[in-house]
Amino acid sequence: MYEQIASNRAKTVFIIIGFIIFITAVGFAVGYYVDYRYGINRSNSILFMAFALILAIIMSFSSYYYSDKIVLSLTRARPISREEDPRIYYMVEGLTIAAGLPMPKIYAIEDEGMNAFATGRNPKNSVLVFTRGLLNNLNDEELKGVISHELSHIKNYDILLGTIIVILVGMVTIISNIILRSFIFGGRGRRSDRSSGGNLITLIFLVVGIALLILSPIIATLIRLAISRNREFLADSTGALVSRYPAGLANALRKISSHSEVKTANSATAHLFIANPIGGKSKAFFSNLFSTHPSTEERIKRLESMSLGIGVK
Amino acid sequence: MLPAVITVIAVIFGIVIIVVLIAIGIYNSIVSLRNQVDNSWSQIDVQLRKRYDLIPNLVETVKGYAKHERETLEKVISARQMGIEAKTVKDQAKAENMITETLKSLFALSENYPNLKADQHFSRLMEQLNGIESNIAYSRQFYNDMVMKLNTRIQTFPGNMFARMFNFTTRDYFEIGEAAAREPVKVQF
Repeated sequence: MYEQIASNRAKTVFIIIGFIIFITAVGFAVGYYVDYRYGINRSNSILFMAFALILAIIMSFSSYYYSDKIVLSLTRARPISREEDPRIYYMVEGLTIAAGLPMPKIYAIEDEGMNAFATGRNPKNSVLVFTRGLLNNLNDEELKGVISHELSHIKNYDILLGTIIVILVGMVTIISNIILRSFIFGGRGRRSDRSSGGNLITLIFLVVGIALLILSPIIATLIRLAISRNREFLADSTGALVSRYPAGLANALRKISSHSEVKTANSATAHLFIANPIGGKSKAFFSNLFSTHPSTEERIKRLESMSLGIGVK
Repeated sequence: MLPAVITVIAVIFGIVIIVVLIAIGIYNSIVSLRNQVDNSWSQIDVQLRKRYDLIPNLVETVKGYAKHERETLEKVISARQMGIEAKTVKDQAKAENMITETLKSLFALSENYPNLKADQHFSRLMEQLNGIESNIAYSRQFYNDMVMKLNTRIQTFPGNMFARMFNFTTRDYFEIGEAAAREPVKVQF
Protein backbone atom coordinates (compact mmCIF):
# COMPACT_ATOMS: atom_id res chain seq x y z
CA MET A 1 0.00 0.00 0.00
CA TYR A 2 2.51 2.60 1.13
CA GLU A 3 5.06 1.24 -1.31
CA GLN A 4 2.46 1.67 -4.01
CA ILE A 5 1.91 5.32 -3.07
CA ALA A 6 5.64 6.00 -2.92
CA SER A 7 6.22 4.31 -6.26
CA ASN A 8 3.40 6.29 -7.86
CA ARG A 9 4.85 9.55 -6.58
CA ALA A 10 8.31 8.60 -7.80
CA LYS A 11 6.97 7.67 -11.22
CA THR A 12 5.08 10.95 -11.42
CA VAL A 13 8.27 12.89 -10.74
CA PHE A 14 10.10 10.72 -13.28
CA ILE A 15 7.46 11.40 -15.95
CA ILE A 16 7.57 15.14 -15.27
CA ILE A 17 11.36 15.23 -15.54
CA GLY A 18 11.23 13.14 -18.71
CA PHE A 19 8.68 15.55 -20.12
CA ILE A 20 10.79 18.60 -19.32
CA ILE A 21 13.84 17.01 -20.91
CA PHE A 22 11.88 16.07 -24.01
CA ILE A 23 10.39 19.52 -24.51
CA THR A 24 13.73 21.20 -23.90
CA ALA A 25 15.41 18.88 -26.40
CA VAL A 26 12.72 19.62 -28.96
CA GLY A 27 13.26 23.33 -28.35
CA PHE A 28 16.95 22.90 -28.92
CA ALA A 29 16.40 20.86 -32.07
CA VAL A 30 13.99 23.39 -33.51
CA GLY A 31 16.42 26.20 -32.72
CA TYR A 32 19.23 24.25 -34.29
CA TYR A 33 17.16 23.66 -37.37
CA VAL A 34 16.32 27.37 -37.64
CA ASP A 35 20.02 28.19 -37.29
CA TYR A 36 20.83 25.67 -39.94
CA ARG A 37 18.28 26.89 -42.43
CA TYR A 38 18.42 30.63 -41.95
CA GLY A 39 21.75 30.99 -40.23
CA ILE A 40 21.30 34.67 -39.37
CA ASN A 41 22.62 34.46 -35.87
CA ARG A 42 23.77 31.28 -34.24
CA SER A 43 22.16 31.67 -30.83
CA ASN A 44 18.73 30.44 -31.84
CA SER A 45 19.25 26.96 -30.46
CA ILE A 46 20.01 28.29 -26.96
CA LEU A 47 17.17 30.78 -27.12
CA PHE A 48 14.67 28.17 -28.23
CA MET A 49 15.93 25.74 -25.62
CA ALA A 50 15.57 28.24 -22.77
CA PHE A 51 12.11 29.13 -23.95
CA ALA A 52 11.12 25.47 -24.18
CA LEU A 53 12.52 24.77 -20.73
CA ILE A 54 10.46 27.54 -19.14
CA LEU A 55 7.41 26.44 -21.08
CA ALA A 56 7.89 22.82 -20.01
CA ILE A 57 8.20 23.76 -16.34
CA ILE A 58 5.08 25.88 -16.51
CA MET A 59 3.22 23.09 -18.28
CA SER A 60 4.31 20.53 -15.70
CA PHE A 61 3.17 22.68 -12.83
CA SER A 62 -0.15 23.48 -14.38
CA SER A 63 -0.69 19.86 -15.33
CA TYR A 64 -0.18 18.91 -11.68
CA TYR A 65 -2.88 21.32 -10.59
CA TYR A 66 -5.26 21.33 -13.53
CA SER A 67 -4.95 18.02 -15.34
CA ASP A 68 -7.97 16.61 -13.53
CA LYS A 69 -10.07 19.49 -14.82
CA ILE A 70 -8.72 19.00 -18.31
CA VAL A 71 -9.51 15.30 -18.17
CA LEU A 72 -13.02 16.04 -16.95
CA SER A 73 -13.69 18.44 -19.77
CA LEU A 74 -12.04 16.12 -22.33
CA THR A 75 -14.46 13.38 -21.39
CA ARG A 76 -17.41 15.85 -21.10
CA ALA A 77 -18.10 14.92 -17.50
CA ARG A 78 -20.31 17.21 -15.45
CA PRO A 79 -20.87 17.32 -11.70
CA ILE A 80 -23.98 15.71 -10.30
CA SER A 81 -25.59 16.91 -7.10
CA ARG A 82 -26.85 14.95 -4.14
CA GLU A 83 -30.43 15.87 -5.01
CA GLU A 84 -30.05 14.58 -8.54
CA ASP A 85 -28.81 11.15 -7.55
CA PRO A 86 -29.01 10.45 -3.82
CA ARG A 87 -28.34 6.75 -4.40
CA ILE A 88 -24.79 7.20 -5.68
CA TYR A 89 -23.97 9.78 -3.02
CA TYR A 90 -25.23 7.52 -0.32
CA MET A 91 -23.11 4.60 -1.54
CA VAL A 92 -19.95 6.61 -2.14
CA GLU A 93 -20.28 8.19 1.29
CA GLY A 94 -20.45 4.83 3.02
CA LEU A 95 -17.57 3.32 1.10
CA THR A 96 -15.32 6.34 1.60
CA ILE A 97 -15.87 5.92 5.32
CA ALA A 98 -14.91 2.26 5.04
CA ALA A 99 -11.82 3.15 3.00
CA GLY A 100 -10.89 6.01 5.31
CA LEU A 101 -10.93 8.61 2.53
CA PRO A 102 -12.42 12.09 2.29
CA MET A 103 -15.54 12.43 0.17
CA PRO A 104 -14.64 12.84 -3.53
CA LYS A 105 -16.63 14.96 -5.98
CA ILE A 106 -19.00 12.99 -8.18
CA TYR A 107 -19.32 13.56 -11.93
CA ALA A 108 -21.31 11.86 -14.65
CA ILE A 109 -20.77 11.36 -18.37
CA GLU A 110 -23.98 11.27 -20.37
CA ASP A 111 -23.15 8.13 -22.28
CA GLU A 112 -25.02 4.87 -22.49
CA GLY A 113 -21.79 2.86 -22.34
CA MET A 114 -20.92 1.48 -18.89
CA ASN A 115 -17.66 2.76 -17.50
CA ALA A 116 -16.09 4.74 -14.69
CA PHE A 117 -12.82 6.37 -13.67
CA ALA A 118 -11.25 8.44 -10.93
CA THR A 119 -9.04 11.47 -11.32
CA GLY A 120 -7.38 14.18 -9.23
CA ARG A 121 -3.99 14.79 -7.68
CA ASN A 122 -4.60 13.44 -4.16
CA PRO A 123 -7.46 12.01 -2.08
CA LYS A 124 -8.51 15.49 -0.95
CA ASN A 125 -8.83 16.67 -4.54
CA SER A 126 -10.33 13.64 -6.16
CA VAL A 127 -13.23 13.09 -8.51
CA LEU A 128 -15.22 9.97 -9.27
CA VAL A 129 -16.74 9.81 -12.73
CA PHE A 130 -19.48 7.41 -13.79
CA THR A 131 -21.24 7.08 -17.10
CA ARG A 132 -25.00 7.32 -17.14
CA GLY A 133 -25.17 3.78 -18.51
CA LEU A 134 -23.27 2.48 -15.50
CA LEU A 135 -25.49 4.27 -13.01
CA ASN A 136 -28.62 3.02 -14.74
CA ASN A 137 -27.69 -0.59 -15.35
CA LEU A 138 -25.79 -1.81 -12.30
CA ASN A 139 -27.48 -2.97 -9.13
CA ASP A 140 -26.34 -1.78 -5.71
CA GLU A 141 -23.81 -4.54 -5.05
CA GLU A 142 -22.22 -4.15 -8.48
CA LEU A 143 -22.06 -0.38 -8.21
CA LYS A 144 -20.46 -0.67 -4.78
CA GLY A 145 -17.85 -2.96 -6.33
CA VAL A 146 -17.04 -0.36 -8.99
CA ILE A 147 -16.93 2.47 -6.44
CA SER A 148 -14.55 0.56 -4.18
CA HIS A 149 -12.32 -0.19 -7.17
CA GLU A 150 -12.14 3.52 -8.00
CA LEU A 151 -11.63 4.48 -4.37
CA SER A 152 -8.60 2.22 -4.19
CA HIS A 153 -7.17 4.01 -7.23
CA ILE A 154 -7.57 7.21 -5.22
CA LYS A 155 -6.04 5.68 -2.12
CA ASN A 156 -3.03 4.36 -4.05
CA TYR A 157 -2.41 7.69 -5.81
CA ASP A 158 -2.92 5.93 -9.13
CA ILE A 159 -5.08 8.92 -10.03
CA LEU A 160 -2.15 11.35 -9.81
CA LEU A 161 0.08 9.36 -12.14
CA GLY A 162 -2.73 8.38 -14.50
CA THR A 163 -4.03 11.92 -14.85
CA ILE A 164 -0.63 13.55 -15.28
CA ILE A 165 0.16 11.02 -17.96
CA VAL A 166 -2.94 11.96 -19.91
CA ILE A 167 -1.68 15.51 -20.24
CA LEU A 168 2.09 15.18 -20.45
CA VAL A 169 2.34 12.06 -22.56
CA GLY A 170 -0.53 13.31 -24.67
CA MET A 171 1.31 16.56 -25.25
CA VAL A 172 4.48 14.75 -26.24
CA THR A 173 2.53 12.69 -28.75
CA ILE A 174 0.97 15.78 -30.26
CA ILE A 175 4.24 17.71 -30.48
CA SER A 176 6.14 14.85 -32.03
CA ASN A 177 3.37 14.32 -34.54
CA ILE A 178 3.48 17.97 -35.57
CA ILE A 179 7.24 17.99 -35.95
CA LEU A 180 7.35 14.67 -37.73
CA ARG A 181 4.83 15.89 -40.24
CA SER A 182 6.60 19.16 -40.86
CA PHE A 183 9.82 17.22 -41.37
CA ILE A 184 8.27 14.85 -43.84
CA PHE A 185 6.22 17.37 -45.82
CA GLY A 186 8.12 20.59 -45.29
CA GLY A 187 11.84 20.27 -44.93
CA ARG A 188 12.90 18.15 -47.86
CA GLY A 189 13.60 19.90 -51.13
CA ARG A 190 14.95 23.18 -49.88
CA ARG A 191 17.87 21.72 -48.04
CA SER A 192 19.72 21.15 -51.31
CA ASP A 193 19.84 24.92 -51.69
CA ARG A 194 22.69 25.03 -49.27
CA SER A 195 25.93 23.95 -50.80
CA SER A 196 28.11 22.73 -47.96
CA GLY A 197 25.90 22.96 -44.88
CA GLY A 198 25.25 19.24 -44.46
CA ASN A 199 28.15 18.33 -42.28
CA LEU A 200 28.33 15.20 -40.19
CA ILE A 201 27.13 16.71 -36.89
CA THR A 202 23.98 18.08 -38.46
CA LEU A 203 23.29 14.73 -40.02
CA ILE A 204 23.67 12.91 -36.71
CA PHE A 205 21.40 15.44 -35.06
CA LEU A 206 18.76 14.96 -37.66
CA VAL A 207 18.92 11.18 -37.56
CA VAL A 208 18.78 11.00 -33.76
CA GLY A 209 16.05 13.61 -33.65
CA ILE A 210 13.91 11.87 -36.20
CA ALA A 211 14.44 8.51 -34.52
CA LEU A 212 13.35 9.99 -31.19
CA LEU A 213 10.32 11.61 -32.74
CA ILE A 214 9.27 8.39 -34.42
CA LEU A 215 9.78 6.45 -31.22
CA SER A 216 8.05 8.84 -28.88
CA PRO A 217 4.46 7.83 -29.70
CA ILE A 218 5.49 4.22 -29.17
CA ILE A 219 7.17 5.13 -25.89
CA ALA A 220 4.07 7.03 -24.89
CA THR A 221 1.94 3.96 -25.54
CA LEU A 222 4.31 1.77 -23.57
CA ILE A 223 4.20 4.17 -20.63
CA ARG A 224 0.43 4.05 -20.62
CA LEU A 225 0.53 0.26 -20.73
CA ALA A 226 3.08 0.00 -17.99
CA ILE A 227 1.10 2.06 -15.58
CA SER A 228 -2.29 0.62 -16.13
CA ARG A 229 -2.44 -3.15 -16.31
CA ASN A 230 -1.16 -4.30 -12.94
CA ARG A 231 -2.82 -1.35 -11.35
CA GLU A 232 -6.22 -2.68 -12.37
CA PHE A 233 -5.59 -6.01 -10.67
CA LEU A 234 -4.34 -4.26 -7.57
CA ALA A 235 -7.32 -1.90 -7.45
CA ASP A 236 -9.63 -4.90 -7.94
CA SER A 237 -8.25 -6.66 -4.89
CA THR A 238 -7.95 -3.57 -2.67
CA GLY A 239 -11.43 -2.62 -3.78
CA ALA A 240 -12.71 -6.03 -2.73
CA LEU A 241 -11.16 -5.40 0.66
CA VAL A 242 -13.15 -2.19 0.99
CA SER A 243 -16.50 -3.53 -0.20
CA ARG A 244 -15.91 -6.96 1.41
CA TYR A 245 -17.77 -8.43 -1.52
CA PRO A 246 -15.53 -9.34 -4.47
CA ALA A 247 -18.43 -10.91 -6.35
CA GLY A 248 -20.05 -7.46 -6.66
CA LEU A 249 -17.19 -6.17 -8.77
CA ALA A 250 -16.88 -9.46 -10.66
CA ASN A 251 -20.53 -9.30 -11.69
CA ALA A 252 -20.18 -5.63 -12.55
CA LEU A 253 -17.17 -6.32 -14.78
CA ARG A 254 -19.08 -9.05 -16.55
CA LYS A 255 -21.92 -6.64 -17.28
CA ILE A 256 -19.57 -3.81 -18.23
CA SER A 257 -17.29 -5.83 -20.47
CA SER A 258 -19.63 -5.96 -23.44
CA HIS A 259 -20.81 -2.34 -23.18
CA SER A 260 -17.80 -0.41 -21.96
CA GLU A 261 -17.49 1.94 -24.94
CA VAL A 262 -17.48 5.63 -24.11
CA LYS A 263 -17.73 8.05 -27.04
CA THR A 264 -15.79 10.84 -25.38
CA ALA A 265 -12.84 8.64 -24.43
CA ASN A 266 -9.73 8.37 -26.60
CA SER A 267 -6.35 6.72 -26.52
CA ALA A 268 -4.99 9.45 -24.25
CA THR A 269 -7.55 8.89 -21.52
CA ALA A 270 -8.33 5.18 -22.04
CA HIS A 271 -5.99 3.96 -19.32
CA LEU A 272 -7.95 5.82 -16.64
CA PHE A 273 -11.14 3.83 -17.11
CA ILE A 274 -12.12 0.71 -15.20
CA ALA A 275 -12.71 -1.16 -18.46
CA ASN A 276 -11.38 -0.38 -21.91
CA PRO A 277 -13.58 2.47 -23.22
CA ILE A 278 -12.42 2.24 -26.85
CA GLY A 279 -14.30 -0.06 -29.21
CA GLY A 280 -12.18 -3.03 -30.21
CA LYS A 281 -13.79 -6.26 -29.15
CA SER A 282 -11.11 -8.21 -31.00
CA LYS A 283 -9.34 -10.72 -28.83
CA ALA A 284 -6.28 -10.96 -31.04
CA PHE A 285 -2.89 -11.46 -29.49
CA PHE A 286 -1.64 -8.12 -30.73
CA SER A 287 -4.51 -6.14 -29.27
CA ASN A 288 -4.02 -7.94 -25.98
CA LEU A 289 -0.33 -7.10 -25.99
CA PHE A 290 -0.98 -3.43 -26.58
CA SER A 291 -4.21 -3.00 -24.68
CA THR A 292 -4.27 -0.79 -21.64
CA HIS A 293 -6.48 -3.15 -19.69
CA PRO A 294 -6.02 -6.76 -18.62
CA SER A 295 -8.62 -9.10 -20.00
CA THR A 296 -11.91 -8.97 -18.17
CA GLU A 297 -12.08 -12.76 -17.90
CA GLU A 298 -8.78 -12.78 -16.06
CA ARG A 299 -9.94 -10.09 -13.63
CA ILE A 300 -13.23 -11.86 -12.99
CA LYS A 301 -11.38 -15.12 -12.41
CA ARG A 302 -9.16 -13.52 -9.80
CA LEU A 303 -12.06 -11.83 -8.05
CA GLU A 304 -14.04 -15.05 -7.97
CA SER A 305 -11.16 -16.90 -6.41
CA MET A 306 -11.23 -14.27 -3.66
CA SER A 307 -14.94 -14.64 -3.08
CA LEU A 308 -14.86 -18.46 -2.84
CA GLY A 309 -17.83 -18.48 -5.16
CA ILE A 310 -20.11 -16.55 -2.80
CA GLY A 311 -22.53 -14.31 -4.67
CA VAL A 312 -21.08 -15.11 -8.08
CA LYS A 313 -23.68 -15.17 -10.83
CA MET B 1 47.22 -2.31 12.76
CA LEU B 2 45.63 1.06 13.28
CA PRO B 3 43.59 1.08 10.05
CA ALA B 4 42.11 -2.31 11.00
CA VAL B 5 40.96 -0.96 14.35
CA ILE B 6 39.42 2.05 12.68
CA THR B 7 37.60 -0.19 10.21
CA VAL B 8 36.16 -2.32 12.99
CA ILE B 9 35.02 0.74 14.91
CA ALA B 10 33.50 2.20 11.77
CA VAL B 11 31.63 -1.02 11.02
CA ILE B 12 30.28 -1.27 14.57
CA PHE B 13 29.32 2.37 14.49
CA GLY B 14 27.57 1.85 11.17
CA ILE B 15 25.63 -1.14 12.50
CA VAL B 16 24.58 0.82 15.56
CA ILE B 17 23.32 3.66 13.38
CA ILE B 18 21.35 1.28 11.19
CA VAL B 19 19.79 -0.43 14.20
CA VAL B 20 18.84 2.93 15.71
CA LEU B 21 17.30 4.05 12.42
CA ILE B 22 15.27 0.85 12.14
CA ALA B 23 14.13 1.25 15.74
CA ILE B 24 13.00 4.81 15.06
CA GLY B 25 11.12 3.60 12.01
CA ILE B 26 9.27 0.90 13.94
CA TYR B 27 8.49 3.23 16.82
CA ASN B 28 7.09 5.84 14.44
CA SER B 29 5.05 3.31 12.55
CA ILE B 30 3.39 2.15 15.77
CA VAL B 31 2.63 5.73 16.78
CA SER B 32 1.20 6.50 13.36
CA LEU B 33 -0.97 3.36 13.46
CA ARG B 34 -2.19 4.33 16.90
CA ASN B 35 -3.14 7.77 15.61
CA GLN B 36 -4.95 6.18 12.69
CA VAL B 37 -6.94 4.05 15.12
CA ASP B 38 -7.85 7.18 17.11
CA ASN B 39 -8.83 8.95 13.95
CA SER B 40 -10.98 6.08 12.73
CA TRP B 41 -12.62 5.96 16.13
CA SER B 42 -13.60 9.60 15.79
CA GLN B 43 -15.16 8.69 12.44
CA ILE B 44 -17.41 6.23 14.24
CA ASP B 45 -18.09 8.86 16.87
CA VAL B 46 -19.34 11.34 14.28
CA GLN B 47 -21.89 8.81 13.03
CA LEU B 48 -22.94 7.86 16.55
CA ARG B 49 -23.52 11.51 17.50
CA LYS B 50 -25.69 11.96 14.42
CA ARG B 51 -27.80 9.07 15.58
CA TYR B 52 -28.03 10.41 19.14
CA ASP B 53 -29.27 13.71 17.75
CA LEU B 54 -32.05 12.07 15.77
CA ILE B 55 -33.39 9.79 18.48
CA PRO B 56 -35.18 12.40 20.70
CA ASN B 57 -36.84 13.72 17.58
CA LEU B 58 -37.96 10.23 16.62
CA VAL B 59 -39.26 9.47 20.10
CA GLU B 60 -41.33 12.67 20.11
CA THR B 61 -42.82 11.83 16.74
CA VAL B 62 -43.74 8.30 17.75
CA LYS B 63 -45.23 9.55 21.03
CA GLY B 64 -47.69 11.64 19.08
CA TYR B 65 -49.21 8.54 17.49
CA ALA B 66 -48.48 5.68 19.85
CA LYS B 67 -48.83 6.81 23.43
CA HIS B 68 -49.21 3.30 24.79
CA GLU B 69 -45.82 2.09 23.67
CA ARG B 70 -44.10 3.74 26.58
CA GLU B 71 -41.94 0.71 27.32
CA THR B 72 -40.32 0.52 23.88
CA LEU B 73 -39.74 4.25 23.83
CA GLU B 74 -38.12 4.20 27.22
CA LYS B 75 -35.81 1.42 26.11
CA VAL B 76 -34.68 3.50 23.15
CA ILE B 77 -34.01 6.49 25.37
CA SER B 78 -32.10 4.54 27.97
CA ALA B 79 -30.00 2.81 25.30
CA ARG B 80 -29.14 6.22 23.88
CA GLN B 81 -28.19 7.44 27.35
CA MET B 82 -25.96 4.38 27.76
CA GLY B 83 -24.27 5.15 24.48
CA ILE B 84 -23.59 8.75 25.43
CA GLU B 85 -22.14 7.76 28.78
CA ALA B 86 -20.02 4.87 27.49
CA LYS B 87 -16.33 5.23 28.23
CA THR B 88 -14.73 2.16 26.69
CA VAL B 89 -14.99 0.68 23.23
CA LYS B 90 -16.64 -2.44 24.65
CA ASP B 91 -19.32 -0.45 26.48
CA GLN B 92 -19.86 1.72 23.45
CA ALA B 93 -20.29 -1.30 21.22
CA LYS B 94 -22.74 -2.83 23.66
CA ALA B 95 -24.78 0.36 23.89
CA GLU B 96 -24.83 0.86 20.13
CA ASN B 97 -25.99 -2.68 19.57
CA MET B 98 -28.76 -2.01 22.04
CA ILE B 99 -29.78 1.18 20.25
CA THR B 100 -29.89 -0.71 16.96
CA GLU B 101 -32.03 -3.43 18.54
CA THR B 102 -34.46 -1.05 20.22
CA LEU B 103 -34.79 1.05 17.08
CA LYS B 104 -35.61 -2.08 15.18
CA SER B 105 -38.40 -2.95 17.57
CA LEU B 106 -39.61 0.64 17.36
CA PHE B 107 -39.81 0.41 13.60
CA ALA B 108 -41.53 -2.95 13.86
CA LEU B 109 -44.04 -1.41 16.20
CA SER B 110 -44.81 1.35 13.76
CA GLU B 111 -46.41 -1.30 11.56
CA ASN B 112 -49.35 -1.29 13.95
CA TYR B 113 -49.96 2.45 13.53
CA PRO B 114 -50.86 3.30 9.93
CA ASN B 115 -51.06 6.99 10.76
CA LEU B 116 -47.54 6.95 12.13
CA LYS B 117 -46.28 5.08 9.09
CA ALA B 118 -47.89 7.62 6.83
CA ASP B 119 -46.28 10.51 8.69
CA GLN B 120 -43.81 12.27 6.38
CA HIS B 121 -41.58 13.31 9.21
CA PHE B 122 -41.42 9.78 10.58
CA SER B 123 -40.53 8.18 7.27
CA ARG B 124 -37.82 10.76 6.68
CA LEU B 125 -36.36 10.08 10.12
CA MET B 126 -36.45 6.38 9.44
CA GLU B 127 -34.62 6.88 6.17
CA GLN B 128 -31.96 9.00 7.84
CA LEU B 129 -31.49 6.48 10.61
CA ASN B 130 -31.08 3.68 8.10
CA GLY B 131 -28.43 5.71 6.29
CA ILE B 132 -26.58 6.39 9.53
CA GLU B 133 -26.86 2.74 10.45
CA SER B 134 -25.00 1.66 7.35
CA ASN B 135 -22.43 4.43 7.77
CA ILE B 136 -21.82 3.16 11.29
CA ALA B 137 -21.22 -0.28 9.81
CA TYR B 138 -18.72 1.15 7.30
CA SER B 139 -16.88 3.21 9.87
CA ARG B 140 -16.77 0.21 12.16
CA GLN B 141 -15.19 -1.77 9.34
CA PHE B 142 -12.52 0.90 8.89
CA TYR B 143 -11.91 1.14 12.62
CA ASN B 144 -11.56 -2.62 12.99
CA ASP B 145 -9.18 -2.76 10.02
CA MET B 146 -6.99 -0.17 11.70
CA VAL B 147 -7.16 -1.92 15.07
CA MET B 148 -6.12 -5.15 13.40
CA LYS B 149 -3.10 -3.46 11.86
CA LEU B 150 -2.08 -1.89 15.16
CA ASN B 151 -2.60 -5.05 17.17
CA THR B 152 -0.68 -7.15 14.68
CA ARG B 153 2.21 -4.71 14.76
CA ILE B 154 2.24 -4.67 18.55
CA GLN B 155 1.95 -8.42 18.97
CA THR B 156 4.49 -9.53 16.40
CA PHE B 157 8.26 -9.26 16.56
CA PRO B 158 9.92 -6.76 16.75
CA GLY B 159 6.95 -4.52 17.51
CA ASN B 160 6.21 -6.45 20.70
CA MET B 161 9.54 -5.35 22.20
CA PHE B 162 8.68 -1.70 21.60
CA ALA B 163 5.17 -2.22 22.88
CA ARG B 164 6.53 -3.45 26.17
CA MET B 165 9.18 -0.74 26.37
CA PHE B 166 6.94 2.20 25.53
CA ASN B 167 3.67 0.86 26.87
CA PHE B 168 1.79 0.56 23.59
CA THR B 169 -1.35 -1.45 24.22
CA THR B 170 -3.61 -3.34 21.86
CA ARG B 171 -7.04 -1.87 21.20
CA ASP B 172 -10.46 -3.49 21.39
CA TYR B 173 -12.44 -4.27 18.28
CA PHE B 174 -15.82 -2.66 17.86
CA GLU B 175 -17.87 -5.83 17.81
CA ILE B 176 -21.40 -6.45 16.72
CA GLY B 177 -23.52 -8.35 19.17
CA GLU B 178 -26.29 -9.60 17.01
CA ALA B 179 -25.90 -13.16 15.72
CA ALA B 180 -27.29 -12.48 12.26
CA ALA B 181 -25.05 -9.49 11.62
CA ARG B 182 -22.05 -11.41 12.82
CA GLU B 183 -22.28 -13.93 10.04
CA PRO B 184 -18.97 -13.50 8.22
CA VAL B 185 -18.55 -12.58 4.63
CA LYS B 186 -15.80 -14.83 3.45
CA VAL B 187 -12.98 -13.06 1.70
CA GLN B 188 -9.81 -14.73 0.64
CA PHE B 189 -6.76 -12.92 -0.64
